[in-house]
Amino acid sequence: MASLDSVSIAILLGAVLVMAGILSSLLALRFGAPLLLFFLFIGMVAGEAGPGGLRFDDVHTTYVVGSVALALILFDGGLKTRFQAIRAVLAPSMVLATIGVLLTALITAPVAKYALDLNWTQALLTGAVVASTDAAAVFLLVHAQGLRLRPRVGATLEVESGTNDPFAVFLTLTLVKLLSLGDASAGHVAMEFVQEAVLGTLIGVVGGRLVVLAMNRVALPQGLHAPFVCTAALVIFGLAQIAHASGFLAVYLAGIIIGNRPTRAHNSVVTFLDAATWLAQIVMFVMLGLLVSPERLVGSIIPAVGVALVLMFVARPVAVFLCLQPFRFNWREKMFVSWVGLRGAVAIFLASIPMLVGLPKASLYFDVAFVVVIISLLFQGWTLAFAARKLHVALPRTDRGPRRIELDLPGQLEQQLVGYAVRPKSLYLKRNLIPSWSKPTLVIRDERILTPAEAEPVTAGDYIYLLAPPEKAEALDRFFVDMPPSTAPDPHLLGDFMVSGEITLGDLAAIYGIAVDPAQASLTLADYFDIHLDHAPTVGAALPIDSIDLVARSLGGGRVNVVGLRLPEDEDPAPPKLTRRQALKAKLKRGWTTLSGA
Amino acid sequence: MTITDLVAPEAIIPALKVNSKKQALQELAARASALTGQNDRAIFEVLLQREKLGTTAVGYGVAIPHGKLPKLDKLFGLFARLDRPIDFEAMDGQPVDLVFLLLAPEGAGADHLKALARIARLLRDQDVAKKLRASRDAQAIYSVLALPPATAA
Repeated sequence: MASLDSVSIAILLGAVLVMAGILSSLLALRFGAPLLLFFLFIGMVAGEAGPGGLRFDDVHTTYVVGSVALALILFDGGLKTRFQAIRAVLAPSMVLATIGVLLTALITAPVAKYALDLNWTQALLTGAVVASTDAAAVFLLVHAQGLRLRPRVGATLEVESGTNDPFAVFLTLTLVKLLSLGDASAGHVAMEFVQEAVLGTLIGVVGGRLVVLAMNRVALPQGLHAPFVCTAALVIFGLAQIAHASGFLAVYLAGIIIGNRPTRAHNSVVTFLDAATWLAQIVMFVMLGLLVSPERLVGSIIPAVGVALVLMFVARPVAVFLCLQPFRFNWREKMFVSWVGLRGAVAIFLASIPMLVGLPKASLYFDVAFVVVIISLLFQGWTLAFAARKLHVALPRTDRGPRRIELDLPGQLEQQLVGYAVRPKSLYLKRNLIPSWSKPTLVIRDERILTPAEAEPVTAGDYIYLLAPPEKAEALDRFFVDMPPSTAPDPHLLGDFMVSGEITLGDLAAIYGIAVDPAQASLTLADYFDIHLDHAPTVGAALPIDSIDLVARSLGGGRVNVVGLRLPEDEDPAPPKLTRRQALKAKLKRGWTTLSGA
Repeated sequence: MTITDLVAPEAIIPALKVNSKKQALQELAARASALTGQNDRAIFEVLLQREKLGTTAVGYGVAIPHGKLPKLDKLFGLFARLDRPIDFEAMDGQPVDLVFLLLAPEGAGADHLKALARIARLLRDQDVAKKLRASRDAQAIYSVLALPPATAA
């Protein structure tokens, strides 16, 4: 019976720890401390050196839980990534994720060698363990604190962190193999990498498509869609790992595929995964906090801090500046990308691999990684918002759109129910306008449900639900926001005509006969603004192109989404209309200047 | 170049009855086709293509649909006052009741842009718009459009 008791105790303690983690998020949100460190701290408090006194050194469990948690986090990150957002940053993020990681590891290695008294392979392993940015940390901290980054910078960081984990995992595993088995030829290693990447991509893409197909074909009972997608992600991960492909790359890609296709129950899947990844992060950090042994840490803390500082101030910036050289980023953006090389659970997870295999000095890698992560989260995580503002990569805060409620309608994918609270100054209420593709379906007033006909006239304070295609739901927002008091902007400043920010320079050239650089013809106007303005766009920011001016007319999600076209003036501009008095004044002024000879 | 160089007296529709943006474009394309001899389907497609990039409603109840038609020999304008305002997906949300259609030949380049600018700036003038809305027949509308910009008010 004693063994059963110990199982029960483990369950109880584990659950209490996770619950403490969840509850602590309230506290941490209130005080704005980097949440992840908080969880690490909880783990340490519960651990062997803290008041909790729990002894936990099961590296195997750590590895399993860490893998699952990381797979879910990456999958969730992929699910929320829009093709549209990443298209423009694919190349820079890929270079950062591969060459960048390698460079960072190479530059960190010599310091690790001398500071920690290691041989070259061991030093390189130390570099590899801490080389990749952490997807969980980046996804979380980049969106936390109401911060909104310039889209190109934000997307680059997110895609980099999503795709560099697989590369860092690969690098670490290769080095661990080298250390435990001895020789391997460079050609062999390169082959293995290509195999991992290609197979991982294949499994991810095919797996993602199969999941979409299954979701839309199989009639699952209500509520099982989300768990189905979650487990499907883990199946894809496991399958890829067994096939010696990169499971992390596969789940990330599968997430992107699933997130960008219409699927049943999309909204409930996203909500469920939000909670699942949140839990995964908490579990991961609490566990890592438990795993660390502060007494052992004391001995290696000084060299470890040295490694962390070199990583933050030399290796990462050098790697970023070199990798982003061919792409159009200004120095402030490169500085910011360098600074937001957030390290997180991935590093500690990677550091547990040598322990799992039983390499000599295995605990040293772990301790170094632990110190690096703490320093990175503490300094970089804490100053992220500040750095973003100082380096002009943060976007000015704008009021958020109206709260939109989206409900899936089982049985079909073309329409969903979209709900809004009716605001007194909304376009809908004031002008009674609604796009032709949406259909008011029900109105809720004083907790009573009415048909639109019964509810006529709809008044402020009602809730209205409309049928609309999911991809257009966002376009409904403008009908339900409170309209700003009509400060009619000078139309001349904002341009004569408007076009969407998502059209390309080529589209514009085709209609207006303006000359554009053929190399830039496929660039969208929003990207054009991103690239050519060296500060975050504001309404009214103008960029010339051939004979016309592009003017940022409205911003959404940090991108220019409506562009005004300011057409060239006539050669003989109409004389400004003057009142008789103004005309007289002008005449007098002209006379005066001629007289005074100025 | 004045507006009346672009739009002939017979290319003015004083009270067009349409219910939607699409119907308005179809109707305008049909009228333009009758006056230019170009295919109405082709004109409609060109206009639709431009609307896909973003609405040509410029605010204050005015829309200026436009596009390039390769086979046209010169700039062609057509003005319509709508019987009842319709939603044209305008940024300011105002329903549209004044519509100026402009078609340009392939090589019109700078002239095309200048004509568009001229039309946009004329119709933006609130006094001009008020007069156009108050005009009941084609002749009256034509005389408002024919006024030189400085004295239009």
